[in-house]
Amino acid sequence: MIIWVLYDIKNDGARNFVSKACLKSGLYRVQYSCFLGTMNANEKDTLELQIEKVINEDTDKVYIFRMNKEQLKECSMLGQAFDDKLVTDEIKSLFF
Amino acid sequence: MLSFYPSQIIEYLYCPRYTYFEYVLRIPQQEDKFYKVQRGREIHNKKLEQNKAYLRKKIGVKNKCLDQYLGIEGLRGKVDEVLELNDGNFAPLDYKFAHWKDKVYETYKQQLFCYAVLIEKNFKSKVNKGFLVYIRSQHKLIEVEVSKKDKQKIQDSMKAMTDIISKNKFPRATSYKKRCLNCTYRNICIK
Repeated sequence: MIIWVLYDIKNDGARNFVSKACLKSGLYRVQYSCFLGTMNANEKDTLELQIEKVINEDTDKVYIFRMNKEQLKECSMLGQAFDDKLVTDEIKSLFF
Repeated sequence: MLSFYPSQIIEYLYCPRYTYFEYVLRIPQQEDKFYKVQRGREIHNKKLEQNKAYLRKKIGVKNKCLDQYLGIEGLRGKVDEVLELNDGNFAPLDYKFAHWKDKVYETYKQQLFCYAVLIEKNFKSKVNKGFLVYIRSQHKLIEVEVSKKDKQKIQDSMKAMTDIISKNKFPRATSYKKRCLNCTYRNICIK
């Protein structure tokens, strides 16, 4: 499944931790506080637990959305948007 | 004689080749990297400190022993709680850092069966049920039946595992191909 992670976290340490956890779990950074990528249910659950542990429930906001490929294709992407093939793991590696 | 942990028996029942790769070829699994395993251990340690004297009256618990390291010939392991029930029988209780998903997974059952065998021998009493506590579903308590056949199956697995290890036998892989998908040894295993 395709997972979106969006957040607004006040504490610098916690925010850094969450961004690193997202990258480590294989998501791509599409904006400063917005990540996107393909995950299985176990990976998603692990990431949720990791985020849940560091955030402050009174001040911070984290959204984790689930999407399928068809829904992603229907999204409008304007300007300098990301490559939808990259986040759905259709491109296995990049050559520069 | 070799002595196994319940986790080793569960791995064997999942696929006999686990035993071969891990204990004959000695290729380790890197279990510590799983975040959920670590969290589960943390919570387990907390559990040992909290509610020490709490008895689950609803299921008829008379007495309990925490964190019991038990061993018999060929099998050893640590039971989270050994419960003494009102009817004189004993039962193992295990905490799971998991959600209750309307069914008890086979691995959890096997673990309880192993504990049942251990408790029967060590406490010299009968065990015909075990309990699981699902921490992430508001500590939901589930009862699992333990039959004679189940306990026999554990003994049979122990025997088969000893065979693999002492005779360097390369066993047949599991017939459930789905299990190969996220197996740690999938890259080195012959199909």
